[in-house]
Amino acid sequence: MDPILEVIYSTVLSSAPYLIAAYALMWAVMLIYIIYSNRSLSNTEKQLSALEEAITQLESKA
Amino acid sequence: MSKKNDAQQMSATYKKPSTFQHYKILLGKDLRREFRTREMLTSMGIYTVLVLVIFGIALMQAPEKVDILQMAGGLFWAIIVFTSLLGLNRSFSYEKEDGALEGILLVPLDRSVIFLSKLTANLLFLLIVEIIAVPLFYIFFLSGLPMHPTLPWALLPLLVGTIGIAGVGTLLATITINTRGKDVLLALLFVPLIVPLLYACVSATTLAITGSPTLMDAYVPALALAIGYDVIMILVSWVLYDFVVSA
Amino acid sequence: MSNKTSKLDALALPFLIIGGVLIIFAFVFNFTVTPMALGDIEVPEPAMIGGKIVTTTLLLSQKIFFYHMPVAVISMVALAFTAAYGIMFLRTRNTKYDIRAQTATEMSLVFVSMTMVSGVAWTRHDWGAWWVWEPRLITYLILMLMVIAYFILRTAVSDPERRATYSSVFGIIVAVNAPISFMITRLVPSTHPVVFRSDSGLPPLMLIPLLLTILGFSLIAFALFRQRVRARQMEEQVESLKLRLDDLRG
Repeated sequence: MDPILEVIYSTVLSSAPYLIAAYALMWAVMLIYIIYSNRSLSNTEKQLSALEEAITQLESKA
Repeated sequence: MSKKNDAQQMSATYKKPSTFQHYKILLGKDLRREFRTREMLTSMGIYTVLVLVIFGIALMQAPEKVDILQMAGGLFWAIIVFTSLLGLNRSFSYEKEDGALEGILLVPLDRSVIFLSKLTANLLFLLIVEIIAVPLFYIFFLSGLPMHPTLPWALLPLLVGTIGIAGVGTLLATITINTRGKDVLLALLFVPLIVPLLYACVSATTLAITGSPTLMDAYVPALALAIGYDVIMILVSWVLYDFVVSA
Repeated sequence: MSNKTSKLDALALPFLIIGGVLIIFAFVFNFTVTPMALGDIEVPEPAMIGGKIVTTTLLLSQKIFFYHMPVAVISMVALAFTAAYGIMFLRTRNTKYDIRAQTATEMSLVFVSMTMVSGVAWTRHDWGAWWVWEPRLITYLILMLMVIAYFILRTAVSDPERRATYSSVFGIIVAVNAPISFMITRLVPSTHPVVFRSDSGLPPLMLIPLLLTILGFSLIAFALFRQRVRARQMEEQVESLKLRLDDLRG
């Protein structure tokens, strides 16, 4: 094997798993938070519209 | 004092007590209460001994060659942190009984006086416990070892650290009395906040105990930073105390 | 809801998308254009870590820095916002500042977590251990603990006004404490060898992805902040509507 390539691979490959892990974990944290945020927002929106509907119904009856 | 002055004082029907008098009365109340019941001091003192015993057992299997002098500063500070947590938890719990704190708040006084008096009381109790803890620690872990002449310098970071612990702890203890699971919560809020102080104090204490030749080069900045922490954190706590105690 | 608020909310989604594009662009740039080491290929000076001499020769792990540093900066900025909103709450007693302070701390927690995971991965490769008691790591660990403690404090107080006051006060103290702990952990001479590094100026090819990442993550943080604030405001509305519904039903 080419000695220069060997040196390059030995420095690059050993750190590659940690590099991939670092970026993957950072993206994962961000994405999980974005998904959580979106879901809680849409849930609250649903609740809000349902409650508003119920209140208008009750008020029109009264 | 002249007669004229006396007459003036007698004619005065009401004299607003000074802030310093408020401080003395509040501090006196805490000290009298403690010296009658000795609740905090006994529990803190016994707790200190227990932690010392735990450290002794934990280090028992360590080989003789381990340099205890390098570790002594850190171990001692661990005792101080644990013991102060216990004391701080207690320092406010009795104020909740029979609405004692509400009573104090009804008095038209500067709220920061409450902070200062509580801080002083906590500081005094901690110092009293340390008076017991320091010789015990010496007997259990350091006796029989050749001591460096710089050893007394370890007392200075101890004082600075205790002031900081009492200052930050008083504010946090006031926050946690009104929360659920207050004992655990105080530890959670308190320990991370005092880490910088602990870092500086452990460094200064270890330098004094090991008596390294470059002692003063490293000791002085460590102590100065600990003092800086004290000043900043106590000022911030003092300003914020009004909001906390009246919430 | 005021007009100004809805305008900022309208910006949230575009900001999120622009921020995402920016950080992806910086990511690609970082791996395709940016050189591996400063200047020509030369070995940086060896550093002492935990009593071992470590030479950092052209390691791919250095690329972690391009996301790690921006994320750390933003976590600190978010904490400054926590303190600022905390002060505003204590001055005005307006609940909207408490909601913002809480959300800013949440941002800080997200970005502190990202800093920690990337930092630990880097530490594991370059220093050979998942954890080293080293100033930077200690500071970030206690920062993370303080931010977590902030949320535990919030759940432990039931009265809303009291909760807002306590968490504002604690938020301010944390924001004051963070720079102090940075200072102390760096300036106190440790009895153990410390990492000495003189960070010289970065060449433009390194600076570009770094600045783009900072900008991109700032936009994302802003967008998420607005979204969370809106969600919290709506949650409050839901609670008040629930009470009204109970009243109407009698």
